[in-house]
Amino acid sequence: MAAAGYDLLVVGAGHAGVEASTSAARLGARVGVVTLSLDTVAQMPCNPAMGGIGKGHLVAELDALGGIQGWATDRAGLQFKVLNRSRGPAVWGPRAQCDKQRYTVILRRLLQHLAGIDLMEGEVTGLVEGAGRIVGARLADGRRLEAAAVLLTTGTFLGGILHTGGERRPGGRFGERPSLGLGPELRALGLELRRFKTGTPPRLHRGSIAYDRLQPEPGDAEARAFSWRTRSVANRVMCWLARTPEVVQTIITDNLHRSPLYSGQIEGVGPRYCPSIEDKVVRFPHHRQHTVFLEPEGLDSDSMYVNGLSTSLPRDVQEQVVRAIPGFEAARFLRYGYAVEYDVVAPFQVLPTLECRSLPGLFLAGQLLGTSGYEEAAALGFVAGVNAVLSARGKEPFLPERERSYVGVLVDDLCSADHREPYRMLTSRAEHRLLLGVDSARERMMPAGHRLGLIPERVFHVEQRRWQRRREVRDELAARAVNPDPATRAAVRALAGVDPTTPTTWAGILRRQDVDAEQVAAALPLLAELPAEDRRTVVGELRYDGYLVRHRREVERLARLRHLEIPIDLEPGEIPGISLEAADALRRHRPRTVADAERLPGVTPAAVAILIGRLGRARDSRPPMAGSGGDGQAWPES
Amino acid sequence: MVKASSSGWSSDLSGGADTIVARATAPGPAALAVVRLSGPGVRRIAGEISPAVDFGEPWRARLVAVDGVGGQAVAIAYAAPRSYTGEDLLELTVHGSAFVVSSLIERCVAAGARPASPGEFTRRAVANGKLDLVQAEAVRDLVGAETAWQARNAREQLDGMLSQRLASLRGELLELLARLEASLDFVDHGVEPNRDDLASRLARCREKLASLLATSAAGERIRDGVRVVIVGPPNSGKSTLFNTLLGTERAIVAPHPGTTRDVLEAELEISGLRVTLVDTAGLREAADPVEEEGVRRARAAVASATVVLELAPADGGSSVAGAPEETTTLRVLSKADLPHTAAADRLPVSCTTGEGVDRLRAVLAETVAGGVPDLGGEVAISRRHRRGLERAAAELGSCDLDHPELGAESVRWAARELAELVGEAVTEDLLDEVFASFCIGK
Repeated sequence: MAAAGYDLLVVGAGHAGVEASTSAARLGARVGVVTLSLDTVAQMPCNPAMGGIGKGHLVAELDALGGIQGWATDRAGLQFKVLNRSRGPAVWGPRAQCDKQRYTVILRRLLQHLAGIDLMEGEVTGLVEGAGRIVGARLADGRRLEAAAVLLTTGTFLGGILHTGGERRPGGRFGERPSLGLGPELRALGLELRRFKTGTPPRLHRGSIAYDRLQPEPGDAEARAFSWRTRSVANRVMCWLARTPEVVQTIITDNLHRSPLYSGQIEGVGPRYCPSIEDKVVRFPHHRQHTVFLEPEGLDSDSMYVNGLSTSLPRDVQEQVVRAIPGFEAARFLRYGYAVEYDVVAPFQVLPTLECRSLPGLFLAGQLLGTSGYEEAAALGFVAGVNAVLSARGKEPFLPERERSYVGVLVDDLCSADHREPYRMLTSRAEHRLLLGVDSARERMMPAGHRLGLIPERVFHVEQRRWQRRREVRDELAARAVNPDPATRAAVRALAGVDPTTPTTWAGILRRQDVDAEQVAAALPLLAELPAEDRRTVVGELRYDGYLVRHRREVERLARLRHLEIPIDLEPGEIPGISLEAADALRRHRPRTVADAERLPGVTPAAVAILIGRLGRARDSRPPMAGSGGDGQAWPES
Repeated sequence: MVKASSSGWSSDLSGGADTIVARATAPGPAALAVVRLSGPGVRRIAGEISPAVDFGEPWRARLVAVDGVGGQAVAIAYAAPRSYTGEDLLELTVHGSAFVVSSLIERCVAAGARPASPGEFTRRAVANGKLDLVQAEAVRDLVGAETAWQARNAREQLDGMLSQRLASLRGELLELLARLEASLDFVDHGVEPNRDDLASRLARCREKLASLLATSAAGERIRDGVRVVIVGPPNSGKSTLFNTLLGTERAIVAPHPGTTRDVLEAELEISGLRVTLVDTAGLREAADPVEEEGVRRARAAVASATVVLELAPADGGSSVAGAPEETTTLRVLSKADLPHTAAADRLPVSCTTGEGVDRLRAVLAETVAGGVPDLGGEVAISRRHRRGLERAAAELGSCDLDHPELGAESVRWAARELAELVGEAVTEDLLDEVFASFCIGK
């Protein structure tokens, strides 16, 4: 550890940087945070919302681990809504519109007051190497900061260029200068960089919209908070929905040559799932209209965000498109949409701890690592921050597993494949989606957060009792018989609308999708005494039961394979009998365990069998490792 | 680091405490074949199909009767952990015909075993630490051989229609899945699922799967061949017909009733299919124990026949073959050169004059090929394919479109089954599909 230096130096104070520095500081580390501007701490440069489907899962897990994103969202939230509520609980995606300014203020204050954090303005232009490690950073003003580990979270600032029509200017975000020195430095250190692109829509003045022509989009009747730290939240604003008319297609098609995306001006690769309006028109000509949401950016702000209209078309074309939309005829532009091109570090170069494979001491997180979204950034920031501290203390790393969490899916996906476009979390990325509902996030992640020391004992015990109670109720429902005698049948028919002709249990009745669980719950004291959320979780799990069995079996199998770690010095080519393709995949991706290896293309069941055999022999011929944490403490594996 | 316990992780790496079964010897006709069962359920399955198997006295060869297979087997029970896989293991050595082996395997599957994946016994053996340094070299060869065989097989089928049909079905499944997934992940972007579109896609996938499955019986017939069994009363000319159809003097022919005492088999090709022609002892009250055994074997052969040629000689006498219902029986009036009264339901054949022989060949050819639709001559669905397709069909059967996250689950598993058949992965394709066919915006 560097004397008189930091345990961790975080470069950037966006969503990744904030999550990393606060978690590291709460683990007791001394953390330095360098940001280009104190005004933009935890800024939301794109949509003023947190969560959603897949992303909301990340926020919930992060909160259960002890992260702060959910907590800040609850405090800055203006409208709360669970998306996909008509679907099953595994895919419910809590989302909140936020007050951008308030969000920044809350987190800047946290960074300024949390013990252990030094927040400072400055531009990092280079890294300091020493003894084969990264041991600090150089600032543009000549300062040199020493640290046991450095975490880069530069977002879209590395070599950032903004595009609007033919205009092209260096910038990390609207009105902010890019970071130019660091990119070449990373290249010189041997890291492979890529060029990505993303975009943002125009902002309109609140007073220039004809709201009577739009469809109101209210929040949920019962607003749901993200964090266990929050008692309650409330809806304070309305959002609005509009649809683009057909003429928008013509306007865009006629002006496509002026779009930097199509003129060849932009080289970076954008996210397919978050296309600009010009992309949508080109790729889906048969869609005659596109949905647009109008979302307020803050209580004290006149700015309205036009969700769905991300664009880098020239200003005059943006005006034509926006004003063609019913309700937006008189829209006044506060800011025009733009695209931003930026450098990212190809993520296969980091370990699952988010430390660079080739540069010990250097950690990466957030958009710099090729993700898109505040939630993905925060999750990576947490993983990097915690691991930087654990590594400095010589402790076992924090490695979330993909079969148990979206955080695990995120890290695993990033580290194990070569991504050519910004990565956004989707529930379809999780093989075991049914096990990973938001409702179970605390039960899944809190034990790890508690072990890390980021969840207070008292909170953990209260939660544990809840999970325990849920399990008891579930068992009780499965045990309580419902006999098909006439009286019971009539009662159940009246209550649940189904006729139990054969002996069953209350679990059997509740499992049926056509039964109104709330109605049944009202008559079953066992259920009625549970809090509404726990009741939903219990019934939800009952309904997934048959599907969950094989997921659990698969998860158990993977857990066994996960105990088989692949030694770092194993040369795949020297394993007798392994195919060239498998050896190549193992060499390139360096999977940590057999479970990770199994997912690699080219690694066949035969290769896995050989690998297991090889590891088994290595295990037998090696003396037991004393005190290496090999006694099953590779947490979190609750 | 690796956990130090030698049993914990290693007992079951293959996905669950299940019991696997497979033919352990090379495929193709042979004098003997070995069928191997391994896993925690072996004792129970053995108790069901062959109660004489005795795990109380393991590692000893024992002649046992095997239920439903119409024969005997030499059984060796290996008690865990002293077995090839380290689990309870049973090896049954049986007559090496494709039929006997496949019925035995099916009997085991019916009793709860699962057909093993390629290399699975070895994989379990490796997992259970049964292979030492020297044996590990053997594993390499064994696994290598398996993959080479797999590769050859895969290439053959890649060129064929089956792969195309599987690929096209899988493509449709992925498209359906992509639509379901998009309706889950992008509901906030105005992507509304079209219920009718989803339902009609699902129906189409189910149909395609059903029609593929319908070819599986035929496919197995192509792969394993068919058995044509000649039966009739003693001295009705069975062996003469056997030799005539083969074109060689394979069976001993004599004018004495009861000349053929055992079951004789020979292979020939009819309509492009491998046919095992079986000559049997005449069916009558046996005069001696040897003949009695011959008659018993003849009846067993009938039970396993695809086609039975039931002979009644012109000089009188007939017998009841007792063939199972699904077996095709062709009635033949043999020795038709002798004076006889015409029987409308019997085809007159004389091996002496050659009368009716070509006719019989033609009828036989038609019958044998009848069960095989014209599939381009390339479809040969193996049992592995059938099992995979059946599982996929079961998944789609329970696919619940009203609850898309569960419906997606079913389609995902169905697609995974097909992916396993063609050897590809699902997830990346799926995402490509999602992005290619949807307008998703933020």
